[in-house]
Amino acid sequence: MDKRLYRTPYAAIVGAGRTKFGELWYVNPEKLLTEAGERALESVDHGLRRKDIEACFFGSFLNQVTNKLALMPGYMSRELGINIPMTSIEAACASGGSALYNACISIKSGEYNVVLVGGIEKMTDRVNKIIDDMMFACDSHEFDAGFTFAGLYAAIMARYIYEYGRGNDKCKEALAQIACKNHHHAVNNPYAQYRFEITVDKVLNSPLIADPIRLLHSSPITDGAVAVILVKPELAKKYTDTPIYIVASSQATDDISLYSRASMTKMFATQMAVEKALKESKLSIKDIKIAEVHDCFTIEELLFLEDSGFVEKGKAWQVVYESYNSFNKSKHIPYVNNGCEMIVNLGGGLKADGHPIGATGVRQVYECFKQLRGEAGGNQVDIDGDLNASLCHNIGGTGGIANVHILVRDL
Amino acid sequence: MSEPIARRKIIMDYRIKASKCEMCGKVYFPPKSFCNLEGRVSKVVESDYFYSKGIFYSGCVIRKPTNKFNYLKSFISCIVSFDNGAVKVPGRITDYRLNNDDEIDITQYIGKGVIPRFRRIYDDGNFGLIYYSSFNFSFEDDYYPYQEYKVVKPSGKSDKPGIIGYGIYIPKFRIKGDENSRELGILERALPFADEDATTFAVEAGKRALIHSAINSQYIKKCYVGSESAPYVVKPSMATISQVLELGEKFDDGFFSGGVDAQFACKAATDLIIDAAALVNYPTFNGEYVMIIGSDNAQAAPNDPLDFSVGAGAAAFIIGKRDVIATIDYYISYTSDTPDFYRRDGCEYPKHGGRFTGEPAYFKHVCTVMKRALKDTNLSPRDINYVVLHSPNAKFPMAAALQVGFEKDQIEPGLIVKKVGNLYSGSSLAALGAVLDISKPGDKILMVSYGSGAGSDAYLFTVTKNIESKRERLIKVQDQIENPHREYVDYYTYREWKTKNHPL
Repeated sequence: MDKRLYRTPYAAIVGAGRTKFGELWYVNPEKLLTEAGERALESVDHGLRRKDIEACFFGSFLNQVTNKLALMPGYMSRELGINIPMTSIEAACASGGSALYNACISIKSGEYNVVLVGGIEKMTDRVNKIIDDMMFACDSHEFDAGFTFAGLYAAIMARYIYEYGRGNDKCKEALAQIACKNHHHAVNNPYAQYRFEITVDKVLNSPLIADPIRLLHSSPITDGAVAVILVKPELAKKYTDTPIYIVASSQATDDISLYSRASMTKMFATQMAVEKALKESKLSIKDIKIAEVHDCFTIEELLFLEDSGFVEKGKAWQVVYESYNSFNKSKHIPYVNNGCEMIVNLGGGLKADGHPIGATGVRQVYECFKQLRGEAGGNQVDIDGDLNASLCHNIGGTGGIANVHILVRDL
Repeated sequence: MSEPIARRKIIMDYRIKASKCEMCGKVYFPPKSFCNLEGRVSKVVESDYFYSKGIFYSGCVIRKPTNKFNYLKSFISCIVSFDNGAVKVPGRITDYRLNNDDEIDITQYIGKGVIPRFRRIYDDGNFGLIYYSSFNFSFEDDYYPYQEYKVVKPSGKSDKPGIIGYGIYIPKFRIKGDENSRELGILERALPFADEDATTFAVEAGKRALIHSAINSQYIKKCYVGSESAPYVVKPSMATISQVLELGEKFDDGFFSGGVDAQFACKAATDLIIDAAALVNYPTFNGEYVMIIGSDNAQAAPNDPLDFSVGAGAAAFIIGKRDVIATIDYYISYTSDTPDFYRRDGCEYPKHGGRFTGEPAYFKHVCTVMKRALKDTNLSPRDINYVVLHSPNAKFPMAAALQVGFEKDQIEPGLIVKKVGNLYSGSSLAALGAVLDISKPGDKILMVSYGSGAGSDAYLFTVTKNIESKRERLIKVQDQIENPHREYVDYYTYREWKTKNHPL
């Protein structure tokens, strides 16, 4: 791999913090975000104080609905005791990634040197209304057709099976194996919501929620918050000896409605955002050794493998099937295609680490930051050769928006 | 939701409105004002898919619905493509019941033809708005065959007004008669699916009437709807029907047409046939046709004697003077204040006078108009081919007709109550439809309605030769009664689906 990059990185990450993910009944959302922010500040090796932060970008989807909470900047000004510019960004499940994208641009523009990016969601406060609320991320006609969020992904999965895996049980098995792999990865992640193994059999016998999607194909309802601190690349070494550089920050959008897309078995926004990010970073998908992928439902992880160009169209289920069966005894289970390896969702992904919607995009960056710095503890990935590049893929709704960030340790 | 949002949804969702680029032909749903490909130099025109057949593109079985759809429990949501894939829309498969907990292979449905149905989607509680759309589909090979709506230029105009076309709608689901029903001569009864009500029945019947008569709906300038189970006490179902079926000349997003919801127990619709006939003869009425619909999700309190006879369905008739299939030759009405059956405002179910509903109510009024009709027209029962009567059960109409001198074989073809139950406002009209389905040019049909409260209308029709050429566009009543896709439900499901207001 040619490690020389021809573009200046967008930003450097010098600190990251997160809360435990799960059912956090006793915390208000603003306190949860503050906790993540404090941990991010404390994690900066050479120290960074609150007053050094020049701006904040927060990602969240449903605070106004789940907690009747708007104007997050005002809450966070109170919590952090600072009066700097702050912006809330809503892009459904891609809120966190979108906050990060805007933070990158703000640093790149030269306006700020130090920015805090936070992602937060408090889903359990809505109890049984959250299934309805999730549909805010979809076209109202999809709601009126009775679709749930899981239902829309089930329609994608059904179409994928129809086009590429009809009559082949291995395709269905592969869609279950993705969940098993991600649970396996979460076992050593102390912050994950589900730190236990599941089997293919268990997935395929779990309750149906939207045929062909079963409960264990799906990411859970989660509370949680994550924060990272971004600085101007030139200043990175002032805060840490091992900054992680964001060398690509890209975003693409697509029609909000799943039904309007020319193809339901690919995410055009993902494809565009990945292409742009790889071009910006002068990397190929083969250079990406670890990736945090948006596996809200297992079918989406499968689609990413194809949309990113790692596997040719319609073949991802075969790669998943072969890889899982070959490597399911490993600490981390890689996907292997034509001699290239990529480990996906090292912390358990949305499926097992949890999916507090607005926090997810930031959590992905947190995970890569820790892995690239060798700080993932018991969950540290062990790769032959040099681990340098990682990719974060965060999408909103059923593909109405996609954010892709590429992180590297060494420029 | 809110009233303004509801209005905006109505305009788009009642008929699946899309927009089409005149230059490249690309179709957009939801509609937009310019084409993405051609830019704003191209014009986009409105297109709609209300009468189209779509293809099931993909879907899933919703097992854990949103709260708004909990009333349907489990169902299939889908993506439907129209125009060979030019546009796709989301939808729900209706009239579909999940029978077990096993996984359904949804790929088996991909590629199947589906037809839009106007149904309820949800409501804002018992006191809020009810939302309807046509994004509900039935499979082409299920209960309803696909019918094309094609306007045919009328070939002639008669002096006498009459029936131009009709559509009878009997829902897919049935309950088998128990011993109480069988005592009344009722073997099975139709009932609404969970998303149906008197308004959706009326739309389906009206749609069929338009297809059968093959006229342009813009020439229908009046619509009368008779029902005693309209979903709103105040808010005309006629306006909903007119908006969906686009009755009258379109202007802005409304239509130059009028009409009313009428109430006279089971004869609200039949009473207005003569008014429709008068209207099409009236010089300043600027329309050609009038649509009359009798529609009911017939209501009865649980375990009341009526609960063993009530059915569900609608009948729509178009009255005019062009290409008439049956002329209106005679009419008479008889009315007296007889309190045999009634429902006060706010009361969910009707009350009735038990045996008092028979001799002094039904028989008195029905027999009086039948006898008077025969006398006035100088006809004997033998001169009439079929007699159709309002049928609260199978025994009353048979006894009344025999009493006046008709024979069993003149009555039997109209006794559809045996297989569909009492359709209330649609009862005598649906029976008329069943008889028109099989009648020949020259046949004479005497229709007698009855409405509690009380009154009867008698109409004498003579069938014309036009009936033959229009028959191929019919969905016959008997075909609905015997449809192999009809499905039976138990008493619990019947009560659940019939009752539209649920505990808050």
